[in-house]
Amino acid sequence: MGFPVSLRVDDEGIGEGTADALFAWLREVDARFSPFRPDSEVCRYDRGELQLRDLSADLTEVLDLCEQYRIATGGAFDVRLPGRPLDPCAVVKGWSVQRAAELLTAAGARRFILNAGGDVVVAGGPWRVGVRHPEHADQLCTVLELTDGAVATSARYERGDHIVDGRTGRPATGLLSLSVVAASLTEADATATAAFAMGPEGVDWAATRPGCEVFAVDAERRVRRTPGFPVVTVAA
Amino acid sequence: MKRVIPVLVLSVAGLIPVWRYEPSIGTTTSTTTEAVSTPTPTPTATSSSSSSASPSESAAASSKKVVQGTAINTSKGTVQVQVTFEGDKISAVSMLQQPNHPQTTAAVPVLIEETLKAQSSKIDTVSGATITSDAYVQSLQAAIDAKGA
Repeated sequence: MGFPVSLRVDDEGIGEGTADALFAWLREVDARFSPFRPDSEVCRYDRGELQLRDLSADLTEVLDLCEQYRIATGGAFDVRLPGRPLDPCAVVKGWSVQRAAELLTAAGARRFILNAGGDVVVAGGPWRVGVRHPEHADQLCTVLELTDGAVATSARYERGDHIVDGRTGRPATGLLSLSVVAASLTEADATATAAFAMGPEGVDWAATRPGCEVFAVDAERRVRRTPGFPVVTVAA
Repeated sequence: MKRVIPVLVLSVAGLIPVWRYEPSIGTTTSTTTEAVSTPTPTPTATSSSSSSASPSESAAASSKKVVQGTAINTSKGTVQVQVTFEGDKISAVSMLQQPNHPQTTAAVPVLIEETLKAQSSKIDTVSGATITSDAYVQSLQAAIDAKGA
């Protein structure tokens, strides 16, 4: 689960120690939940060395979330694809970065931006968050304003067709990019990934999720968004 | 006697709408008509549908078990769910009864359609599927971080 993490804290008195604790937590998550580390809890559970009752409360929570999204998407979002190892990354990422943001809040931070691989948690805004254009890495396709909350984007432009529709076992190709704004990154990231796996119908599905606002670009380069998506109108 | 038959046919024809008429105190649609006409008693006699879906009832770990929730009357109509357990995991959830009401049937908000635009603007951070560090270096967020350093 390698991804760059950027942290900006504008509060006085939030020291390096808080940032160190945040990065230590993310490294701990990687060690415990990575499907690429044979000694991780996820791999040991997948190999049958751990039973469900032996799992940590954290992993149990993550797997419960995965199951909720699998059911809600009719199987399009599935962390247990046939012939592949258990891979809960899509939920772990948003969940762990949301937890990291809560570490900052608990340490007294009130105004910050935490950006983990393009998934963003902000507090104490208003902040302006650009959404990367799906075809031009140096351009934006929209800008939104967020005071407190999270935004996550799922797309094909970087890792290729890596999100699989669990109903067909084939890569999801119906959308170029889909962003979700929600109160927590746990919700925003999982909803964005799950909707992306569903394809164009996932845009409508995500729009019905309580508290979620959606901005999607389909394969024909059409934009569909919810009226509540907090778009900033900018002069060109 | 020849006139009797058309009269009977007409009476039967007249009966059908009466048969099909249901008192409209919250009309409900059902996907499984059988389940609606013969609601199975729920395992736990509580008023909440979620508690009746508790997996604590299932004794065998691997067996499949279908549990019907209590039919809940709401102001918009009756709601009843059916949950399929495989062991203690939920494998399917279906609606046995749901209100045929605009707030249920048209829950998808009307989406705004736009054309895709490329723009640049003053921003504080970027959301995008930025996973690898190679791509990060050329991304906007890298530029923002470099400016802040």
